[in-house]
Amino acid sequence: MGFWQRVSQLDRRWIYLAVALAVIFPLLVPMKMKLGITPEARQLYEAIEALPDSSVVMLTFDYYPSTVAETRPMSIAALHQMFRKNLKVITMTTIPLGGPSIADRTMREMAELYHKTYGVDYVNLGFKANYTAVLLGMGSSIESIYPSDQYGTPLAKLPLMQTVKNYDQISFIFIVADNGIVDNWISIVNAQFSKPMGAGVTAVMAPKFYSYVQAKQMTGLLGGMKGAAEYEMLVNKPAMALIGMDSQSMAHLLIIGFVIAGNVAYFMTRKKKESNG
Amino acid sequence: MEILGLWLAGFFTLSLFSFLYKDNPFYGLAEHVFAGLSAGYEVGLVYHSVILQQLVDPISQHWVNATAGDHPGFHIMKIGFLLFAGALGVLMFTRFFPKASWISRYPLAFVMGNTAGIYLMSELHGRLIPQIAGTFVNLLNPLNLIIFFGVLTTLIYFYFSKEHTGLLGGTARVGIWFIMIAFGAHFGYTVMGRISLLIGQVQFILIDWLKLIKPG
Repeated sequence: MGFWQRVSQLDRRWIYLAVALAVIFPLLVPMKMKLGITPEARQLYEAIEALPDSSVVMLTFDYYPSTVAETRPMSIAALHQMFRKNLKVITMTTIPLGGPSIADRTMREMAELYHKTYGVDYVNLGFKANYTAVLLGMGSSIESIYPSDQYGTPLAKLPLMQTVKNYDQISFIFIVADNGIVDNWISIVNAQFSKPMGAGVTAVMAPKFYSYVQAKQMTGLLGGMKGAAEYEMLVNKPAMALIGMDSQSMAHLLIIGFVIAGNVAYFMTRKKKESNG
Repeated sequence: MEILGLWLAGFFTLSLFSFLYKDNPFYGLAEHVFAGLSAGYEVGLVYHSVILQQLVDPISQHWVNATAGDHPGFHIMKIGFLLFAGALGVLMFTRFFPKASWISRYPLAFVMGNTAGIYLMSELHGRLIPQIAGTFVNLLNPLNLIIFFGVLTTLIYFYFSKEHTGLLGGTARVGIWFIMIAFGAHFGYTVMGRISLLIGQVQFILIDWLKLIKPG
């Protein structure tokens, strides 16, 4: 059996091992590869920077635990910026599995870091089923959709919610999502209530949502771990996404190598088969 | 308790990764635990956030207000609406009984009617019109020119009422190139997404669980 024949029949477990090593090695020995910032990430950052002090923003945790590597760093970086700017933050999730606990943990950690008070500086609305009704209903009354917050406290008892009745009092919506809910935020909340918004989404979803930025339906966009790393750079809080980018680059180089080797092996073995008749 | 959770998460992560070598009982255990936990968690969550918060609690609140003499007619009407919606929900369960399953079509008809009404407007105003408007761009900018021709040629590729020959065929072929480039971008981003998930779990193992690396 020739070399290219062996390459084309390589046990896939060797490929898994190579990818694992490409991911693990840069975590143990950081290479600090250079990373650029895309205009879409900068636009999102600048839109939030431009908000006046004490403006109310909504930050969504519309993602499952399976994608936290890409999405949670976005939420954390966004909260660094929001709390540093003294914005009031309302959070919510449309994800039943893990969404409420990720939102709860992230908000608690970040609020503690910036000495923010629950109910005054931020409110966690928690999860509510049927996202279409939730997004639409909050346009007329948030309280009708969320009679109480994540912890069972009636919204009427939370000082921040005394002034926030619906989208009219919210200056900006920052969606962090790993699913098609972003479409609904755009088509329902942006289109019908004219709310400015930006999104951080998983890499798999990102190409689809660039068209919303181009059509000015979204202010900015963060795509995958790269987008999260860009936002960490913008808020000057390097963390998990930036740490992971060396691994990302190494794994990509390896996959490019595999794609080239796979194609060369295919053509070489085909040529040999043809010449053998 | 937190340490136990961390070790359990670590154990299940490795159990799931073990499938990459070959199927084994650890992978099966992790898969079944995940399926069972997810189902139980979701039932509990929906019971609290929907059944209690959006049906039982509002009915009790309106009942208290009605019996206290505070606009009783309004509150009774609200209770009526809630009971009607609740009854529609209960009717969905008739699907479990073959002879009565036809009744479940009524609540489904409500859901479909509502959904169609909401999405008709939102898709039109929220997606179709703004996306078309997004192609009305200054064509002196080369990047805008790419957007314009990309949309135009791709749409022509999906025009099937005339055979793709001559000018139409040539334009459609350019459309295929744009589609292929879009597929390439999607593929690249998908690879990035999948690798990110792996990086996240490796970070969990090395940083959060085994504490072999200190972040920052």
